[in-house]
Amino acid sequence: MPDAGGVDRREVLVQLIDDAPCGIVSTDPDGRIQYLNSTLRKWLGGSPEVELKRFPDFLTGAGQLFYETHMAPMMRLQGFIREISCALDRRDAEPLPVLLSGVVRRNEAGEPTRFDYTIFDASERHAYEEELRVARRNADELAAIIRSSPNAIVRVDAGGRIGSWNAGAERLTGQGLASVLNKPIQDVIRLDARSAWFDEAIRDYAGSGEVVFEAQSALGLDFEVTLTPINEYNPTQTSVNWSVVLRDITQRKRAERHLNVMVGEMKHRVNNTLAVVSGIARQSLPKEHTPRFIARLRALAQAHEALAQSGSSGAELRQVLEFSAQEAGGAERFAVHGPDIWLSPQQSASLSMAFHELVTNGLKYGALSVPEGRVDVTYEWEDAMTSQEADTARRLAITWVESGGPPVAQPTRQGFGTKMIGTVLAAELDAEVTFDYRSTGFRCEIVFAPLTPD
Amino acid sequence: MIERNNVVVSGSPQGRTVVFVHGFGCDQSMWRDVTPAFEADHRVVLYDLTGMGQSDLSAYDVARYDRLDAHAEDLLAILTEIDAHNAVVVGHSVGATIAVLAANEVMTEGTGRIGELILVSPSPCFYTDEEAGYAGGFARRDLEDLVKMLEDNHLGWSMQLAPTIAGQSADEVQADRLTQSFCRTDPGIAQHFGRVTFLGDHRADFEHLAAPSLVLHCDADALVPMTVAEWMRDRVPGTRVHVLNATGHCPHMTVPADVVAAMRDHLGEV
Repeated sequence: MPDAGGVDRREVLVQLIDDAPCGIVSTDPDGRIQYLNSTLRKWLGGSPEVELKRFPDFLTGAGQLFYETHMAPMMRLQGFIREISCALDRRDAEPLPVLLSGVVRRNEAGEPTRFDYTIFDASERHAYEEELRVARRNADELAAIIRSSPNAIVRVDAGGRIGSWNAGAERLTGQGLASVLNKPIQDVIRLDARSAWFDEAIRDYAGSGEVVFEAQSALGLDFEVTLTPINEYNPTQTSVNWSVVLRDITQRKRAERHLNVMVGEMKHRVNNTLAVVSGIARQSLPKEHTPRFIARLRALAQAHEALAQSGSSGAELRQVLEFSAQEAGGAERFAVHGPDIWLSPQQSASLSMAFHELVTNGLKYGALSVPEGRVDVTYEWEDAMTSQEADTARRLAITWVESGGPPVAQPTRQGFGTKMIGTVLAAELDAEVTFDYRSTGFRCEIVFAPLTPD
Repeated sequence: MIERNNVVVSGSPQGRTVVFVHGFGCDQSMWRDVTPAFEADHRVVLYDLTGMGQSDLSAYDVARYDRLDAHAEDLLAILTEIDAHNAVVVGHSVGATIAVLAANEVMTEGTGRIGELILVSPSPCFYTDEEAGYAGGFARRDLEDLVKMLEDNHLGWSMQLAPTIAGQSADEVQADRLTQSFCRTDPGIAQHFGRVTFLGDHRADFEHLAAPSLVLHCDADALVPMTVAEWMRDRVPGTRVHVLNATGHCPHMTVPADVVAAMRDHLGEV
């Protein structure tokens, strides 16, 4: 029946169905296609041969299986199917992910006469969903790692209030998340009897990296605490959240304390041994030699003590050379010139070993083997620094000069001492070592980068 | 057992026991157009495979049900529970394979609980094995895609859509959803059972079938090609293949009267 505009109403309806923004297909109860709109034809790729075909033939293999085993029985049993995710098998293109819904039309006797389906393009949804699935899998994996970590891992807001915490934190405190949620972490976990350890740590944060410190909890456990800002993209979030990780290092700290006790005990024993040696010397040596021997022994003990005391934090280069001077026979035969240089424990140990070898050599063969001979040790910063070198650490040159000794001859083979000096200093200090056997006196130069004092 | 598998016994207690085993993707309700024809003179037994329909989903132990034999054991346990003798087991699709596995076990044990089988649209193996010259109808790839598709169909967002088809109002959709009880399947179980069903190969079990059987094959089965029916005719001992003029994989739903007639004819109960 023509309407006011002269267009057949029926024609309008047909047109609406035909170019609907979704695919529409109508089949008999066996799935044979009776009607297919142009939208669906377009999706299937041009004008496929639809006559005598069944609708499931246009689904991918998996879709056909699902149609026959689930969709078709469901249509008959409950009269509809809703939003089944499957894919159209297209002639010249990748399968098109679609959402499929269907409804059964029945005759007056209630027998199914027609199955009508609507089909929506779900490619975008499908891609999004795939992303979601991957993200969820990754998140699950990470969550599992955090859940099973033996460390306490806590998320707090900028004010240090607890937002979430893992099983490790529960084990540590014996408290579930519900009972600590939104409470300040520094109240829930007391460290070093400091009431504001979180605030202090945040203040120490340098703007990048992390804040790491060690502390003891109220229960007497030792922890290494690491605070890191959680950088995540979240436009609605105005302040930063922090991750706080507490690692139980009670065992390690216990071992460290044990080691300290042992070192103290060792020092004590060395001193005792030196005391015993001087006692024996007093009883055994001729009287005129005793005072000199005892003095040397005392100097040795003092140097040892000085080194041992500063052992954990390093030592002054002058202090190390002081010990060598005692070995060499005193300041009148062993002069030291140079600025204040701080050495790491490792550097002072290596250098004192090297100097000991040089002194021993000097006493046996070099300038120190005769009363008039002497050693001058000079050290200074290498001045000529090019801009390229400015990036690397500043280097110090130590020069050991012997004089007044017997004439020196180039050795025919390298002795153990010099070999040891070269090897140890190169390996431990990354030093350049040169030996110069001048006839007027032996010289040795050691160039390396000492610990930069902060 | 009876509760776990939602076992429903009806019909004549004195009649011969007929047990119906449904296939993948559905539950016992798919037999509703066939069973009434047997209730007058048979003891009709329906049940849901463990993990499907109204069975106890918590009983679905993935490790145990990784093999169809577990479903066959369930079927035997039900037969024992209801004390069936010389029963007819009617299995559809993968349900047919389960019936075959159970029958072979019964013959080994000599309990005589199963007398014969009626296999509706069976397929010993859904994928093609070119080496053995077996055309199963699908490439393994398609079957693996199906398993993935089962995951796609249970993500939940589809629930947000408004009615998407003419002929249904939004209220109806809601009502349908509340009363929907057919073929309910837990998504995880559907995926696992799909894998076990479609990626399994039970040709050897069919070749050693120890009970007489009738195969009902649809001439236009979209899942099981005629070559598979011919393979069964040639390779399965003691079987008779009856071809139905039907389209699709579920003749018991599309042409139930033909299925009933073929079954009765086979059982000598015309």
